[in-house]
Amino acid sequence: MLMQKAWSPYLAGIVIGLLQIPAFLIIETALGASSSYVTIGGLIASWFDPALLKVGYVARHVAITGKNWWQVALVAGIAVGAFISMQMSGARRRAVSPIWQRALGTASPATRYAVAFFGGFLMLFGARIADGCTSGHGISGMAQLAVGSTVAVAAMFVGGIATATLVLRRI
Amino acid sequence: MSVTLAIAVGLLMGVVFGFALEKSRVFEPGIIVGQMQLRNFIMLKVFLTAVATGAVVLAVLNGFGYVKLSPKAALYGADIVGGLILGVGIALAGACPGTTLAQIGAGYRDALFTLVGGLFGAVAYSYAEPALSKTFLGQGGGKLIFSNLAGIPYWAGALILAAAIVLILIALESWKPWRPELGNDVDGDIAPATSPQKLTVVPAE
Repeated sequence: MLMQKAWSPYLAGIVIGLLQIPAFLIIETALGASSSYVTIGGLIASWFDPALLKVGYVARHVAITGKNWWQVALVAGIAVGAFISMQMSGARRRAVSPIWQRALGTASPATRYAVAFFGGFLMLFGARIADGCTSGHGISGMAQLAVGSTVAVAAMFVGGIATATLVLRRI
Repeated sequence: MSVTLAIAVGLLMGVVFGFALEKSRVFEPGIIVGQMQLRNFIMLKVFLTAVATGAVVLAVLNGFGYVKLSPKAALYGADIVGGLILGVGIALAGACPGTTLAQIGAGYRDALFTLVGGLFGAVAYSYAEPALSKTFLGQGGGKLIFSNLAGIPYWAGALILAAAIVLILIALESWKPWRPELGNDVDGDIAPATSPQKLTVVPAE
Protein backbone atom coordinates (compact mmCIF):
# COMPACT_ATOMS: atom_id res chain seq x y z
CA MET A 1 0.00 0.00 0.00
CA LEU A 2 2.90 2.35 0.72
CA MET A 3 4.13 1.62 -2.82
CA GLN A 4 0.88 2.76 -4.46
CA LYS A 5 0.83 5.95 -6.49
CA ALA A 6 -2.54 7.04 -5.19
CA TRP A 7 -4.78 6.41 -2.24
CA SER A 8 -8.48 7.04 -1.91
CA PRO A 9 -9.01 10.69 -0.91
CA TYR A 10 -11.06 9.41 2.02
CA LEU A 11 -8.22 7.29 3.43
CA ALA A 12 -5.76 10.18 3.08
CA GLY A 13 -8.26 12.62 4.63
CA ILE A 14 -8.73 10.32 7.63
CA VAL A 15 -4.95 10.09 8.15
CA ILE A 16 -4.67 13.89 8.04
CA GLY A 17 -7.62 14.35 10.41
CA LEU A 18 -6.11 11.86 12.89
CA LEU A 19 -3.03 14.11 13.13
CA GLN A 20 -5.17 16.39 15.30
CA ILE A 21 -4.73 13.82 18.11
CA PRO A 22 -0.97 14.39 18.63
CA ALA A 23 -1.36 18.09 17.78
CA PHE A 24 -3.91 18.69 20.56
CA LEU A 25 -2.60 16.13 23.09
CA ILE A 26 1.14 16.74 22.79
CA ILE A 27 1.57 20.26 21.41
CA GLU A 28 -1.76 21.66 22.68
CA THR A 29 -2.50 23.33 19.38
CA ALA A 30 -4.27 22.59 16.11
CA LEU A 31 -2.78 21.66 12.73
CA GLY A 32 -1.64 24.69 10.78
CA ALA A 33 1.00 25.68 8.24
CA SER A 34 1.10 29.39 7.42
CA SER A 35 2.53 30.80 10.69
CA SER A 36 5.75 28.92 9.97
CA TYR A 37 6.34 31.24 7.00
CA VAL A 38 6.46 34.18 9.43
CA THR A 39 8.84 32.28 11.71
CA ILE A 40 11.29 31.49 8.90
CA GLY A 41 10.71 34.62 6.78
CA GLY A 42 10.84 36.90 9.81
CA LEU A 43 14.01 35.26 11.09
CA ILE A 44 15.81 35.58 7.74
CA ALA A 45 14.58 39.17 7.22
CA SER A 46 15.76 40.12 10.73
CA TRP A 47 19.36 39.26 9.74
CA PHE A 48 19.16 42.11 7.23
CA ASP A 49 16.89 44.39 9.28
CA PRO A 50 17.18 43.70 13.04
CA ALA A 51 14.56 46.41 13.68
CA LEU A 52 11.92 44.00 12.32
CA LEU A 53 12.11 42.13 15.64
CA LYS A 54 10.65 45.22 17.34
CA VAL A 55 7.34 44.37 15.65
CA GLY A 56 5.56 42.34 18.33
CA TYR A 57 3.94 40.11 15.73
CA VAL A 58 7.35 39.06 14.35
CA ALA A 59 8.93 38.68 17.80
CA ARG A 60 6.09 36.36 18.85
CA HIS A 61 6.54 34.19 15.75
CA VAL A 62 10.34 33.83 15.77
CA ALA A 63 10.56 33.20 19.53
CA ILE A 64 12.10 29.83 20.42
CA THR A 65 8.89 28.20 21.60
CA GLY A 66 7.63 24.68 21.10
CA LYS A 67 4.57 25.78 19.13
CA ASN A 68 6.50 28.02 16.69
CA TRP A 69 9.19 25.51 15.88
CA TRP A 70 6.86 22.52 16.00
CA GLN A 71 5.05 24.05 13.05
CA VAL A 72 8.28 24.77 11.16
CA ALA A 73 9.27 21.13 11.70
CA LEU A 74 5.79 19.97 10.63
CA VAL A 75 6.01 21.88 7.35
CA ALA A 76 9.58 20.68 6.70
CA GLY A 77 8.41 17.14 7.47
CA ILE A 78 5.69 17.48 4.80
CA ALA A 79 8.42 17.84 2.14
CA VAL A 80 10.27 14.83 3.55
CA GLY A 81 7.12 12.69 3.71
CA ALA A 82 6.09 13.59 0.17
CA PHE A 83 9.61 12.82 -1.07
CA ILE A 84 9.64 9.39 0.62
CA SER A 85 6.17 8.57 -0.69
CA MET A 86 7.14 9.62 -4.23
CA GLN A 87 10.33 7.52 -4.09
CA MET A 88 8.41 4.47 -2.86
CA SER A 89 5.74 4.65 -5.56
CA GLY A 90 7.94 5.93 -8.36
CA ALA A 91 5.46 8.73 -9.18
CA ARG A 92 8.19 11.10 -10.33
CA ARG A 93 7.20 14.61 -11.36
CA ARG A 94 8.46 16.84 -14.14
CA ALA A 95 9.88 20.25 -13.19
CA VAL A 96 6.51 21.85 -13.95
CA SER A 97 3.10 20.16 -14.04
CA PRO A 98 1.79 19.76 -17.62
CA ILE A 99 -1.42 21.57 -16.65
CA TRP A 100 0.37 24.93 -16.50
CA GLN A 101 0.97 25.07 -20.23
CA ARG A 102 -2.80 25.10 -20.72
CA ALA A 103 -3.67 27.17 -17.64
CA LEU A 104 -1.18 29.92 -18.50
CA GLY A 105 -1.30 29.61 -22.28
CA THR A 106 2.49 29.31 -22.54
CA ALA A 107 5.09 26.59 -22.02
CA SER A 108 7.65 29.14 -20.77
CA PRO A 109 9.12 27.98 -17.43
CA ALA A 110 10.08 31.60 -16.63
CA THR A 111 6.43 32.68 -16.85
CA ARG A 112 5.39 29.81 -14.63
CA TYR A 113 8.09 30.60 -12.07
CA ALA A 114 7.03 34.26 -11.97
CA VAL A 115 3.36 33.33 -11.53
CA ALA A 116 4.31 30.82 -8.81
CA PHE A 117 6.29 33.49 -6.92
CA PHE A 118 3.43 36.00 -7.20
CA GLY A 119 0.90 33.32 -6.20
CA GLY A 120 3.01 32.35 -3.20
CA PHE A 121 3.30 35.99 -2.15
CA LEU A 122 -0.48 36.55 -2.27
CA MET A 123 -1.12 33.21 -0.57
CA LEU A 124 0.90 34.10 2.51
CA PHE A 125 -0.02 37.78 2.58
CA GLY A 126 -3.68 36.74 2.54
CA ALA A 127 -3.20 33.88 4.99
CA ARG A 128 -1.52 36.19 7.49
CA ILE A 129 -4.31 38.79 7.20
CA ALA A 130 -6.85 36.01 7.77
CA ASP A 131 -4.64 34.46 10.49
CA GLY A 132 -4.76 31.03 8.91
CA CYS A 133 -4.77 28.96 5.73
CA THR A 134 -6.35 25.81 4.36
CA SER A 135 -4.94 23.91 7.35
CA GLY A 136 -5.44 26.30 10.26
CA HIS A 137 -8.79 27.77 9.21
CA GLY A 138 -9.85 24.92 6.97
CA ILE A 139 -9.03 21.56 8.50
CA SER A 140 -8.66 22.74 12.11
CA GLY A 141 -11.01 25.73 12.31
CA MET A 142 -13.97 24.03 10.68
CA ALA A 143 -13.50 20.88 12.79
CA GLN A 144 -13.71 23.17 15.85
CA LEU A 145 -16.90 24.73 14.42
CA ALA A 146 -15.24 28.16 14.43
CA VAL A 147 -17.48 30.78 12.81
CA GLY A 148 -14.60 33.01 11.63
CA SER A 149 -12.75 30.06 10.08
CA THR A 150 -15.83 29.02 8.14
CA VAL A 151 -16.14 32.56 6.76
CA ALA A 152 -12.42 32.52 5.83
CA VAL A 153 -12.71 29.16 4.04
CA ALA A 154 -15.73 30.40 2.06
CA ALA A 155 -13.73 33.50 1.04
CA MET A 156 -10.76 31.31 0.01
CA PHE A 157 -12.94 29.29 -2.34
CA VAL A 158 -14.58 32.43 -3.75
CA GLY A 159 -11.16 33.98 -4.47
CA GLY A 160 -9.77 30.71 -5.82
CA ILE A 161 -12.74 29.88 -8.05
CA ALA A 162 -12.93 33.44 -9.43
CA THR A 163 -9.20 33.47 -10.27
CA ALA A 164 -9.09 29.95 -11.70
CA THR A 165 -12.06 30.59 -13.96
CA LEU A 166 -11.49 34.24 -14.93
CA VAL A 167 -7.68 34.55 -14.98
CA LEU A 168 -6.42 31.04 -15.72
CA ARG A 169 -7.42 29.13 -18.83
CA ARG A 170 -9.35 25.87 -18.77
CA ILE A 171 -7.00 23.02 -17.84
CA MET B 1 7.70 20.45 26.83
CA SER B 2 11.13 21.14 25.43
CA VAL B 3 11.50 22.81 22.05
CA THR B 4 13.65 19.90 20.84
CA LEU B 5 10.91 17.40 21.60
CA ALA B 6 8.32 19.65 19.92
CA ILE B 7 10.50 19.75 16.80
CA ALA B 8 10.89 15.96 16.80
CA VAL B 9 7.12 15.50 17.15
CA GLY B 10 6.57 18.07 14.39
CA LEU B 11 8.95 16.34 12.00
CA LEU B 12 7.34 12.97 12.59
CA MET B 13 3.82 14.38 12.14
CA GLY B 14 4.96 16.28 9.06
CA VAL B 15 6.31 13.12 7.44
CA VAL B 16 2.91 11.44 7.93
CA PHE B 17 1.12 14.59 6.69
CA GLY B 18 3.36 14.81 3.60
CA PHE B 19 2.93 11.11 2.91
CA ALA B 20 -0.87 11.42 3.02
CA LEU B 21 -0.82 14.57 0.86
CA GLU B 22 1.35 12.83 -1.76
CA LYS B 23 -0.73 9.64 -1.79
CA SER B 24 -4.02 11.53 -2.10
CA ARG B 25 -2.55 13.61 -4.99
CA VAL B 26 -4.26 16.64 -3.43
CA PHE B 27 -0.95 18.53 -3.64
CA GLU B 28 -1.00 18.33 -7.46
CA PRO B 29 -1.51 21.67 -9.25
CA GLY B 30 -3.83 19.76 -11.61
CA ILE B 31 -6.04 18.75 -8.66
CA ILE B 32 -6.02 22.16 -6.94
CA VAL B 33 -6.58 24.25 -10.08
CA GLY B 34 -9.05 21.59 -11.26
CA GLN B 35 -10.98 22.00 -7.99
CA MET B 36 -11.06 25.77 -8.37
CA GLN B 37 -12.33 25.33 -11.94
CA LEU B 38 -14.96 22.95 -10.51
CA ARG B 39 -13.90 20.09 -12.76
CA ASN B 40 -12.06 17.93 -10.18
CA PHE B 41 -13.30 17.28 -6.65
CA ILE B 42 -10.47 15.30 -5.04
CA MET B 43 -9.35 18.39 -3.08
CA LEU B 44 -12.81 18.89 -1.57
CA LYS B 45 -13.01 15.17 -0.72
CA VAL B 46 -9.67 15.09 1.11
CA PHE B 47 -10.43 18.40 2.82
CA LEU B 48 -13.93 17.49 4.02
CA THR B 49 -12.79 14.03 5.15
CA ALA B 50 -10.00 15.61 7.20
CA VAL B 51 -12.48 18.10 8.72
CA ALA B 52 -14.97 15.32 9.60
CA THR B 53 -12.24 13.10 11.08
CA GLY B 54 -10.87 16.02 13.09
CA ALA B 55 -14.37 16.85 14.32
CA VAL B 56 -14.95 13.28 15.56
CA VAL B 57 -11.50 13.19 17.18
CA LEU B 58 -12.08 16.51 18.94
CA ALA B 59 -15.64 15.59 19.94
CA VAL B 60 -14.14 12.65 21.87
CA LEU B 61 -11.03 14.41 23.23
CA ASN B 62 -12.91 17.56 24.23
CA GLY B 63 -16.12 15.78 25.26
CA PHE B 64 -14.21 13.66 27.78
CA GLY B 65 -12.20 16.66 28.93
CA TYR B 66 -8.76 15.66 27.65
CA VAL B 67 -8.15 18.78 25.58
CA LYS B 68 -9.24 22.40 25.34
CA LEU B 69 -10.34 23.77 21.98
CA SER B 70 -8.33 26.59 20.42
CA PRO B 71 -10.57 28.18 17.78
CA LYS B 72 -9.30 31.34 16.13
CA ALA B 73 -11.07 34.61 16.89
CA ALA B 74 -13.79 35.62 14.42
CA LEU B 75 -12.42 38.75 12.70
CA TYR B 76 -14.85 38.96 9.79
CA GLY B 77 -13.07 41.75 7.89
CA ALA B 78 -9.74 39.95 8.10
CA ASP B 79 -11.31 36.56 7.41
CA ILE B 80 -13.01 37.81 4.23
CA VAL B 81 -10.24 40.05 2.84
CA GLY B 82 -7.44 37.67 3.82
CA GLY B 83 -9.38 34.62 2.64
CA LEU B 84 -10.05 36.21 -0.77
CA ILE B 85 -6.37 37.14 -1.29
CA LEU B 86 -5.30 33.70 -0.09
CA GLY B 87 -7.73 32.12 -2.57
CA VAL B 88 -6.31 34.15 -5.47
CA GLY B 89 -2.84 33.00 -4.41
CA ILE B 90 -3.91 29.35 -4.17
CA ALA B 91 -5.23 29.43 -7.75
CA LEU B 92 -2.11 31.11 -9.17
CA ALA B 93 0.31 28.98 -7.15
CA GLY B 94 -1.71 25.80 -7.68
CA ALA B 95 -0.90 25.10 -4.05
CA CYS B 96 -1.68 26.04 -0.44
CA PRO B 97 0.94 26.98 2.17
CA GLY B 98 1.22 23.34 3.32
CA THR B 99 0.99 21.57 -0.05
CA THR B 100 3.74 23.83 -1.45
CA LEU B 101 6.18 21.78 0.63
CA ALA B 102 4.66 18.51 -0.63
CA GLN B 103 5.19 19.77 -4.20
CA ILE B 104 8.83 20.49 -3.41
CA GLY B 105 9.28 17.02 -1.90
CA ALA B 106 7.63 15.38 -4.91
CA GLY B 107 9.94 17.24 -7.29
CA TYR B 108 8.04 20.24 -8.69
CA ARG B 109 10.62 22.97 -9.28
CA ASP B 110 8.13 25.84 -9.58
CA ALA B 111 7.08 25.16 -5.97
CA LEU B 112 10.45 26.55 -4.85
CA PHE B 113 9.35 29.89 -6.32
CA THR B 114 5.99 29.55 -4.55
CA LEU B 115 7.86 28.96 -1.28
CA VAL B 116 10.15 31.98 -1.70
CA GLY B 117 7.18 34.11 -2.78
CA GLY B 118 5.38 32.92 0.34
CA LEU B 119 8.28 33.90 2.59
CA PHE B 120 8.32 37.36 0.98
CA GLY B 121 4.54 37.60 1.46
CA ALA B 122 4.85 36.70 5.14
CA VAL B 123 7.63 39.28 5.63
CA ALA B 124 5.65 41.95 3.74
CA TYR B 125 2.70 41.28 6.03
CA SER B 126 5.01 41.47 9.07
CA TYR B 127 6.06 45.00 8.06
CA ALA B 128 2.44 45.98 7.42
CA GLU B 129 0.97 44.31 10.53
CA PRO B 130 1.28 47.23 12.98
CA ALA B 131 -0.59 49.50 10.52
CA LEU B 132 -3.10 46.88 9.31
CA SER B 133 -4.11 45.82 12.82
CA LYS B 134 -5.33 49.40 13.44
CA THR B 135 -7.72 49.20 10.46
CA PHE B 136 -10.98 47.28 10.12
CA LEU B 137 -8.82 44.16 9.61
CA GLY B 138 -8.09 44.17 13.35
CA GLN B 139 -11.73 44.51 14.37
CA GLY B 140 -13.76 41.75 16.02
CA GLY B 141 -12.31 39.10 18.19
CA GLY B 142 -14.78 36.72 19.82
CA LYS B 143 -13.85 33.04 19.64
CA LEU B 144 -17.29 32.18 18.33
CA ILE B 145 -18.18 28.56 17.64
CA PHE B 146 -21.40 27.38 16.00
CA SER B 147 -22.36 24.96 18.79
CA ASN B 148 -22.37 27.80 21.33
CA LEU B 149 -24.60 29.84 19.03
CA ALA B 150 -26.96 26.87 18.76
CA GLY B 151 -26.84 26.27 22.52
CA ILE B 152 -25.60 22.67 22.27
CA PRO B 153 -22.39 21.07 23.60
CA TYR B 154 -19.38 21.18 21.26
CA TRP B 155 -19.20 17.39 20.98
CA ALA B 156 -22.78 17.24 19.74
CA GLY B 157 -22.20 19.97 17.17
CA ALA B 158 -18.98 18.32 15.98
CA LEU B 159 -20.72 14.96 15.51
CA ILE B 160 -23.57 16.63 13.60
CA LEU B 161 -21.01 18.32 11.33
CA ALA B 162 -19.20 15.01 10.75
CA ALA B 163 -22.47 13.24 9.91
CA ALA B 164 -23.47 16.03 7.51
CA ILE B 165 -20.08 15.82 5.78
CA VAL B 166 -20.40 12.04 5.38
CA LEU B 167 -23.74 12.54 3.62
CA ILE B 168 -22.26 15.24 1.37
CA LEU B 169 -19.30 13.00 0.50
CA ILE B 170 -21.55 10.05 -0.34
CA ALA B 171 -23.49 12.27 -2.74
CA LEU B 172 -20.30 13.81 -4.16
CA GLU B 173 -18.70 10.40 -4.72
CA SER B 174 -21.72 9.02 -6.55
CA TRP B 175 -21.77 12.15 -8.76
CA LYS B 176 -17.99 12.37 -9.35
CA PRO B 177 -16.08 9.14 -8.52
CA TRP B 178 -12.47 9.84 -7.48
CA ARG B 179 -10.54 7.36 -9.61
CA PRO B 180 -11.10 8.97 -13.03
CA GLU B 181 -10.17 12.35 -11.53
CA LEU B 182 -6.60 11.19 -10.81
CA GLY B 183 -5.66 11.50 -14.49
CA ASN B 184 -3.28 9.37 -16.51
CA ASP B 185 -0.14 10.29 -14.58
CA VAL B 186 -1.88 10.73 -11.18
CA ASP B 187 -1.44 14.51 -11.57
CA GLY B 188 -5.06 15.50 -12.05
CA ASP B 189 -4.38 16.10 -15.74
CA ILE B 190 -7.53 14.63 -17.25
CA ALA B 191 -7.27 16.26 -20.66
CA PRO B 192 -7.29 13.70 -23.49
CA ALA B 193 -3.85 12.74 -24.78
CA THR B 194 -4.72 14.32 -28.14
CA SER B 195 -5.35 17.72 -26.57
CA PRO B 196 -2.74 19.63 -28.65
CA GLN B 197 -5.14 19.43 -31.61
CA LYS B 198 -7.87 20.95 -29.51
CA LEU B 199 -5.55 23.71 -28.39
CA THR B 200 -4.88 24.78 -31.95
CA VAL B 201 -8.52 25.03 -32.99
CA VAL B 202 -8.30 28.77 -32.44
CA PRO B 203 -5.20 30.00 -34.30
CA ALA B 204 -3.01 31.69 -31.73
CA GLU B 205 -1.20 34.97 -32.34
